[in-house]
Amino acid sequence: MTLIELYAAEVGKRLPLRGRGDIEAELRSTLEDMLEDRSQKAGRPADEAMTLDLLREYGPPDKVAATYHPNQYLIGPRLFPFFVKVLKIVLTVLVIVLAVTLGIQLARQPAGPEFAKAVVSGLLGILGGAVQAFGNVALVFAILERVLPASEFKLDEEQQTWDPASLRQAEEPAAVKPWEPIAGIVFAAAAMIIFNGYADLVGVHFLKDGAWTSIPVLTEAFFRWLPYINILWALQIALNVVLLRQGRWQAATRWFSIALDAAGVVIAYFLLAGPPIVSLSAEALVASGLSGPAAAATVNTAVQLGVRVVIAIVMLVQGIDIVKEVIKLILRRR
Amino acid sequence: MADSENLENMVQELRRGMLVLAVLSQLSRQQYGYALLKLLADRGMQIDQGTLYPLLRRLEVQGLLQSNWNVEAGRPRRYYVISSEGKKLLSRLKNEWGSMVTAMDGMLK
Repeated sequence: MTLIELYAAEVGKRLPLRGRGDIEAELRSTLEDMLEDRSQKAGRPADEAMTLDLLREYGPPDKVAATYHPNQYLIGPRLFPFFVKVLKIVLTVLVIVLAVTLGIQLARQPAGPEFAKAVVSGLLGILGGAVQAFGNVALVFAILERVLPASEFKLDEEQQTWDPASLRQAEEPAAVKPWEPIAGIVFAAAAMIIFNGYADLVGVHFLKDGAWTSIPVLTEAFFRWLPYINILWALQIALNVVLLRQGRWQAATRWFSIALDAAGVVIAYFLLAGPPIVSLSAEALVASGLSGPAAAATVNTAVQLGVRVVIAIVMLVQGIDIVKEVIKLILRRR
Repeated sequence: MADSENLENMVQELRRGMLVLAVLSQLSRQQYGYALLKLLADRGMQIDQGTLYPLLRRLEVQGLLQSNWNVEAGRPRRYYVISSEGKKLLSRLKNEWGSMVTAMDGMLK
């Protein structure tokens, strides 16, 4: 085989089977024409050095082959918007499921260094799961890109029916809906009043001998943290008042909100890692006549576990939210 | 350095926009790739082989060109010629080109 034939074959190896022979033949013919031209200009017959010079100038086989299929992408522009939509849904569902699972696992974990280890390995597990899901979705779309005709994806229909009037209805990301801060203020104020003035109301209520009786569930451990929680609620009210007045989020209020969320996560960690913050004492349950001694102990364990699960889930969701908000704020600054 | 690089990129962009018109306009008589390359170069339109051959194939797939293999002086060559579809498009492209040149001339005065 001549150098030109070898070169054309090398280019051909990098091309799809369909049309490969044709391209190789055309390339050979072109190179031979070019070589002949050079030979005439040089006034001597073409030799190996001349051929090598020509091939060097024509370029590496990879580069030449790439010109015949310039759009070498895994997922092309027609499928990419659909890919992003599907990916968002899959990742959201996956992270929620894994976060809830982790929350349940953490609630069963005793306090101490093992707990922190479980948090880290759980978060790494979520990250690993997300990366794996990303890979799987990308693989499915890479296959679709190659086997489905373009007509199967009519994403541009949505764009054709797009109405500019919808711009007015679009939500301004920084705008604050009035009900949001109002709900925040009402919630924080109600929580402050109940947990500080009427803590006895937080418990199990039942009718006994025609009168309402209750068993309070909050323990000393909870009340040790209550002053700090009160500070958070008060600051939450202050933030919501500012938001109500300004009507929109600003960098300062966003950072302040993130700081409050972070403080909430820290307190939640201590509530989770410390002694139980709720307790349904077996004695009280037995005395109430609601259950027997064996069932009372089980109920107490179940309630404590349930509260820990809720705290763990809230902590995780809040943590993820904080990271998202911080990233958004940093990106917005650029 | 950055300026000359920018200029080069912009000139390439301009050329890229004119390539289809240039190629279609020179294929009323059949030509093989290398001959077309030289013909375009002689008329002041330098095109890289790596750009021309894939473009010819794309235009053929779009039905704007037709091709056939001929053996000439013992060497097989693929000849391209504009199709009837290509001729219709070329006529409209020429009109568009004329309008653009007039508009640009007006702007660049």
